[in-house]
Amino acid sequence: MHSEMTVHEHHLDSNSTDVFGFWIYIMTDCILFGTLFTTFLVLNAQVQNGITLKTYLDLYDVLAETFLLLGSNFTFCLAILSLYQNKLLRVQAWLALTFLLGASFVFIEVNEFIHLATEGFSWDLNGHASSFFTLVGTHGLHVSFGLLWILMMIIQLPFLKITPITKRRMTYLGLFWNFLDIVWVFVFTIVYLMGAL
Amino acid sequence: MEHQDAGQPDYGTGQKKLGIYLIGVLSCSILTLISFWAVLSSQFTKGQIFLIIYSAACIQFFVQLICFLRLNTQTKQGQMNIMSFIFTGVILTSIILGSLWIMSNLNYNMMS
Repeated sequence: MHSEMTVHEHHLDSNSTDVFGFWIYIMTDCILFGTLFTTFLVLNAQVQNGITLKTYLDLYDVLAETFLLLGSNFTFCLAILSLYQNKLLRVQAWLALTFLLGASFVFIEVNEFIHLATEGFSWDLNGHASSFFTLVGTHGLHVSFGLLWILMMIIQLPFLKITPITKRRMTYLGLFWNFLDIVWVFVFTIVYLMGAL
Repeated sequence: MEHQDAGQPDYGTGQKKLGIYLIGVLSCSILTLISFWAVLSSQFTKGQIFLIIYSAACIQFFVQLICFLRLNTQTKQGQMNIMSFIFTGVILTSIILGSLWIMSNLNYNMMS
């Protein structure tokens, strides 16, 4: 009885430890973004040649991006719900919608970058511009990798079916995707809304 | 193994409930709209806007943590997640506030 218990608990523990490890990775990513935010704030305080983001900013674009990311966050949660109801097609459909919303986010962001760079707010202009592109670009890159990951899940789910393993993978992906939305809250508050003042 | 299939492993991320996600997405939308409205409507002073957008961001941060990341203290793993989260918070606070403090001090002493 006793040995059965320990085997059983050990199995649960190894799964939980895996997810805990992924949580630690998310926390290290938090620190990465924290340092980038600090760099941005420090370099934002003293702009030498007076060209700032404010001149080129379109807040309605940012509002659209925010709601696209929030919407994709919600559709991912719906995918998780369907996953726990064992409805494979619905999981794939919600994941596909999540992918579309996330892809629109990246599309708007890349367009915005191109627009900024051609208008004269290029990344080599000053420290302010460099730190802006580094911070927002790192977030965009994370979202792009998240999109790739969602695509992989959509492809592998019909082959692997809904098992504890795929559930665990979806848990990882969910943590990652929700985390990116949390970072975005601070990006639009600190970078865009403060930049527009 | 059986227990895992029947009891739905939550990995410290809480039970999956549609209601909580709906509350999360609604309150996040409202808080986002408040922030953007405060900046776009141009009827507040700079100080007021600072206060509004930072409080909205902080509230939304906690709403997202609770509703989407499902941070909780109910399971042992949830508690471990929270402990590492608090640890990260301490590190981040010292990095961000410390850097801003030092840099503003440097700026004060060197530039003026």
